[in-house]
Amino acid sequence: MAVAAAPRRSWEEERRRAFFWGLAPALLVLLAITLAPAVYLLVTSLTPLNLTNPAQTATDFSDPLRNYREALDDPRFVNSVWVQVKLSLATVTAQILVGLGIALLLNARSRVLEAVRTAFLIPMVLPPIVVALIWKVVYTPDVSPMHRLLEALEMPVRSLITRADTALWAIAVADTWQWFPFTMLIILAALQMIPDEPLEAAEIDGAGAWQRFWYVVLPYIRPAIVVAALFRLIDSVKAFPLIYVLTNGGPGQVTEVTNYFAFVQAFNFSYWGYAAAIATMLVAGVFLLSWMIGRLDQAGQRDE
Amino acid sequence: MSSVAQRGALIGARTAPARTRVSVKVRHRRMVTALALVVLAFVMLPFGWLLQMSFRPNDDIFGYELAFRPTLEHYAALWTGGFPRSFLNSVLASSLSTLLALLIGTPAAYAMARWQFRGKRQVGLWILATRMAPPIAFTIPFFLAYRWLGLLDTVPGLVLIYLTFNLALVIWMMQTFFAGVPRTLEEAAWIDGCSVWGAFVRITLPLTAPGLAATAVLCFIFSWNDFFYALILTRTNAQTAPVAIVNFIQYEGWEWGKIAAGGSLVMLPVILFTLLVRRYLVRGLTAGGVKD
Repeated sequence: MAVAAAPRRSWEEERRRAFFWGLAPALLVLLAITLAPAVYLLVTSLTPLNLTNPAQTATDFSDPLRNYREALDDPRFVNSVWVQVKLSLATVTAQILVGLGIALLLNARSRVLEAVRTAFLIPMVLPPIVVALIWKVVYTPDVSPMHRLLEALEMPVRSLITRADTALWAIAVADTWQWFPFTMLIILAALQMIPDEPLEAAEIDGAGAWQRFWYVVLPYIRPAIVVAALFRLIDSVKAFPLIYVLTNGGPGQVTEVTNYFAFVQAFNFSYWGYAAAIATMLVAGVFLLSWMIGRLDQAGQRDE
Repeated sequence: MSSVAQRGALIGARTAPARTRVSVKVRHRRMVTALALVVLAFVMLPFGWLLQMSFRPNDDIFGYELAFRPTLEHYAALWTGGFPRSFLNSVLASSLSTLLALLIGTPAAYAMARWQFRGKRQVGLWILATRMAPPIAFTIPFFLAYRWLGLLDTVPGLVLIYLTFNLALVIWMMQTFFAGVPRTLEEAAWIDGCSVWGAFVRITLPLTAPGLAATAVLCFIFSWNDFFYALILTRTNAQTAPVAIVNFIQYEGWEWGKIAAGGSLVMLPVILFTLLVRRYLVRGLTAGGVKD
């Protein structure tokens, strides 16, 4: 017994040492490439850094909160937040509805449907720049199949991305096309975990298809819908290639989301301190949303 | 004889309603399948349109009859320009970053899966947080730092910034695969004289090989798909394929055939890989969203 116990304890010890050395390099690298930049971003946001005069502006902390104050007074920044809110709400809602609809359609065991499921993943895995090009084609009257069809129906329209009243919604449609597979996947995973018994019981009790969906299926998949929505909400802040290729933030500033606004401030105008302050606020917003996901997740586990 | 016929009639009477119910179900399933295929065709239409444009001759680029004489002239035009080089840059940056992420991330994922240490939850949250942060928050400090380090417009610069998402992905995904390997196997290897990492390399890693391959493919796809980082951190030397397409829009105008051909080439590896690892793909694409 004693002979067997001795090597086991040393195995545990040896393992712990090995694990430490396995984990340490990754954590050091992560520290260097994620935490250090985050700190640097925060520090830069407290300076008026401008690359035409970096020596003096990089370490000027005389008025640390100036960028934040200016941002709140900047109508272009406030506008970008509103554009972001509108775009995020529109795309998340549309993605949940489309994703839910297609997930319900594909929720059956069949070879064909499984292949269809894989094909539906394509928009999501395509390089975002290709998605942007695809929709540039759709929205350019010369080459667009959509405009051809509308002309054939004698309902010609001007390009949707050059009009101030439709540009943002045109982008929302493209974004929905790109990301509904994500909500579809998560909802489909939840649908497949619903046990058969309650559905059969409801059917025997005479519940129609709509009632079965509303009173049996929906309560089961509600947590999945909430998680999918929050994940998409967080990622909707990252929208970039679509806006860059389709509208460049225009016409005027109707499609300029906060992310794009920060990009323009830094890389076109060289207001690095200002852009860093906006990026910091974006990160804070995203983490607030993530924290809410964590809370919901814990609440969900308590329910179980 | 009559009893057999009677029995047959009885069976017939019993099975007939069942058969009609089955056929209703089959008909329902066929309708669902047909509807799914129609929706799929509609959703894929814009995608297919770009693909056909890449084969359409220039004098007919605005045409819409599907019966046209396909040509490879746009692909040939890409081949003679600067596109092959940026394609190579994309391949280099994506594969190097994938390799590095696996090299550093796999042992860390193994440790995270097996070792209960203080602060483990915090480390997990931190790794998840890097997935959440918007890229603009990384680009600003990376751009400023790269100016000093001379890493702007270099492939190593891209490899490093791609690690910000690849490393998190490797640790996140491989953890779940390692957790599925029973630790008694490793203990047996230890008793037979294997070191801890020896057992890892000889026993645990081979058992998780499919997961490792899937993780590698996902890392490659995410790096390959990057547009934002490459747009900002490269100019000419290390320009990647997605940025090259945008650049010839800016310099040569909207040459639709060439743009469509470039886009088709950029998405080709992604589509191939998707079909290759579709089983594991779902887990990586929804990382953090679905509990395993």
